[in-house]
Amino acid sequence: MDQRNSEAARMKINWFCPLPPAKTSIADDYLVGILPALANQTELILWTDQSTWDRNLENLAPVRRYDPDRISWPELNQADVTFYNIGNNHLFHAAIWQVSRRHPGIVVLHDLRVHNFFDSLYRRQWSDVAGYLAQMKRYYGDEGLRAAKDLVNSGAANIDFMIEHYPLTPLALENCLAAVVHSDEAFARVAAMREWPVVHASLPRSLPPQHNDGASLRLMERPYRLIMFGYMGRNRRVDVVLKALSALPERDCFRLDIFGEIPDARSLRRRIAKLDLGHLVRLHGYTPETELNKALRTSHLAINLRYPTMGEASGSQLRIWYHALPSLVTDVGWYSSLSRDTVAHVRLEHEVADIQSHLRAFLKDPQPFAAMGQRSLRTLREQHNPERYVRTILDVAAAARQFRVRKSAYDLARRAGTMMGSWTSKASHEPIRIAEKICEVFGP
Amino acid sequence: MRILIATVQVPFIRGGAEIHAEGLCDALHQAGHEAEILAIPFKWYPPEKILDHILACRLLDVTEVAGTRVDRLIGLRFPAYLIPHPNKVLWILHQHRTAYELWDHALSDLVYYPNGSQVRDAIEQADRKLIPEARAVFANSRNVAQRLKRFCGIDSTPLYHPPPNAEKFYYTEAEDFLFFPSRLCIPKRQELALRALAMTRNPVRLSFAGTSDHPDYTPKLESMARKLKIHNRVEWLGGINEDEKRSRYARALAVVYPPVDEDYGYVTLEAMLASKPVITCRDSGGPLEFVLDQTTGLITEPTPEALATAFDFVWENREQAAAWGRAGRVRYESLNLSWTNVIQKLLA
Repeated sequence: MDQRNSEAARMKINWFCPLPPAKTSIADDYLVGILPALANQTELILWTDQSTWDRNLENLAPVRRYDPDRISWPELNQADVTFYNIGNNHLFHAAIWQVSRRHPGIVVLHDLRVHNFFDSLYRRQWSDVAGYLAQMKRYYGDEGLRAAKDLVNSGAANIDFMIEHYPLTPLALENCLAAVVHSDEAFARVAAMREWPVVHASLPRSLPPQHNDGASLRLMERPYRLIMFGYMGRNRRVDVVLKALSALPERDCFRLDIFGEIPDARSLRRRIAKLDLGHLVRLHGYTPETELNKALRTSHLAINLRYPTMGEASGSQLRIWYHALPSLVTDVGWYSSLSRDTVAHVRLEHEVADIQSHLRAFLKDPQPFAAMGQRSLRTLREQHNPERYVRTILDVAAAARQFRVRKSAYDLARRAGTMMGSWTSKASHEPIRIAEKICEVFGP
Repeated sequence: MRILIATVQVPFIRGGAEIHAEGLCDALHQAGHEAEILAIPFKWYPPEKILDHILACRLLDVTEVAGTRVDRLIGLRFPAYLIPHPNKVLWILHQHRTAYELWDHALSDLVYYPNGSQVRDAIEQADRKLIPEARAVFANSRNVAQRLKRFCGIDSTPLYHPPPNAEKFYYTEAEDFLFFPSRLCIPKRQELALRALAMTRNPVRLSFAGTSDHPDYTPKLESMARKLKIHNRVEWLGGINEDEKRSRYARALAVVYPPVDEDYGYVTLEAMLASKPVITCRDSGGPLEFVLDQTTGLITEPTPEALATAFDFVWENREQAAAWGRAGRVRYESLNLSWTNVIQKLLA
């Protein structure tokens, strides 16, 4: 155990993450991108509650299956640190979050706003409305409780409002030692909570070979191919895109391919028919990786809108950049921070007009868009390099002991405060004395 | 001097640590000092309770009592040794062992809690930061000193002391039994001794003295002896008084003491005082500082087979065993263990 002090020893890391073939970019883009470097530099164990996973992963790191209610704490405790990847889809992250609540580790936050996750988890998966309401009351007081009751009583009508105003980020980080985030906004917001150390690392993605020459070859072909992909939830703005396209006089110059699961495909098809876009828009549904990549290689412009945004960096955007593809993104959250050189922004309040304006500009001169795609690929290479990301993860892991001591101090202060709350007054000096003593023991 | 001895007390549990504190207190009195034992109640589960105890100790002020200064604090056990005092000297019996050498040991409890590693690191931080506050740091044994260095990078001086009533131990001719005096608990490894007994070639008899920390443990050991079909060769003496204990030492063929990484262990020294050979194991810690293999006893692998071989050897070679016992006594004398020396060091 004294080896825990040896810097030369490879760190033992528990990594909780959705694994391929789970249909999430956290599994197939993010994890697959960083796994070679991470497994090479650490003694890594991948933990999953999935019943199946890509067996090739085991060439890089052992995979341990777990049940969140019966996991082996000694095994987790034997590692130097545990990382939990938490995002908005309760199907992939529920078990991870459950373990994270009990065994303190470092949370890699893939979405800043995780109200959707907790709403789905408590109300849908667990049928625990009371639990959901209790968490809302705990984090947002009476106002949050009222809003949650409104949501529960009126269906999902105002879920977007809830996501925006009650992100429930602290609940995702409840028992964590520190957070890793992928955007400036997430960093600023988590840091402002003053509860956990937070580290910003640009979302990584595996990089294409150097000779990739991207979009320049695509420009010769007409009609121009637009592409949208991923889980086509309400926040992907499909309806707005269709509206913009249908009202564009030059619409026949484009074809729109939509890849990925669509929660209400029938209604979308009706909408497409109603807008008379049947000959321009094609729904492909969930598509295997190779087919999607082929489509991305032959597309000319990606549309990757979000509202509401969950606040974190987008794996889909990095995939677009991987293919040196220009893209339209909503001017909100992380997407706002992207350079105008690498994406074309769509203002939320002028979505239709901005989409049409960009499409017209593309028709007039596609070259600047092709150059945008090339610059985006350079940005991917420079800022989203998996090796660089893994170096940051290792730095965070190396500080785990310090984070654990810090958390012990905070937990102790909280317990002391709770205990003393019933008999000390605000004017009392005692809490300060106790805080000083805690600092004396656990401070640097 | 007015001296406080800071230790912890697990209610209803009594063992070497309690005897140690009382021995020190008596010795200080005899040297003309005013001394008292300050025992903090200690509970170690759930693990966050340990941190509560650290804080509780740090909040104590024992620098003076009713306007009269406390001249020295002698800290013995975690977390009581973290109580602040400007003239503190530590004589560490052991740290919180499951956070250190027992962390990944079968005996560990801390590692089974989801927040085990968090609490482990906090304990280490407290030790690393606060032990050096003391003006001098002594350890109960070389084993404890080595752990302190290995895990916390803190230097300390081993300081041995005699067992209580050392002058009252005596020797008589060996009878047909081996003697294993100790609290009945997993770290002392009575189970290992039973398994060994079941593997002996000879009708070796083994007498256990001591009570268990947990009420279920004695019946468990008795049941184990029955299952191994050795119950007619085992004697359970329970808690015995000091006279009876010394009599058993005096009459034993050899003393069995195979604990896991013991801090110090009075049993070894008491056996040597009674001129009896000690059978111990390579991973037994403290006893290894005193027992010389095949000179004052036998040091075996911690397996039933190896221990059984040792039991058979002393059973079959009584003259050799007696000679090793006499050599043990000589070795004890050569160590020059005395409370005078201890007090001189602690009060320097």
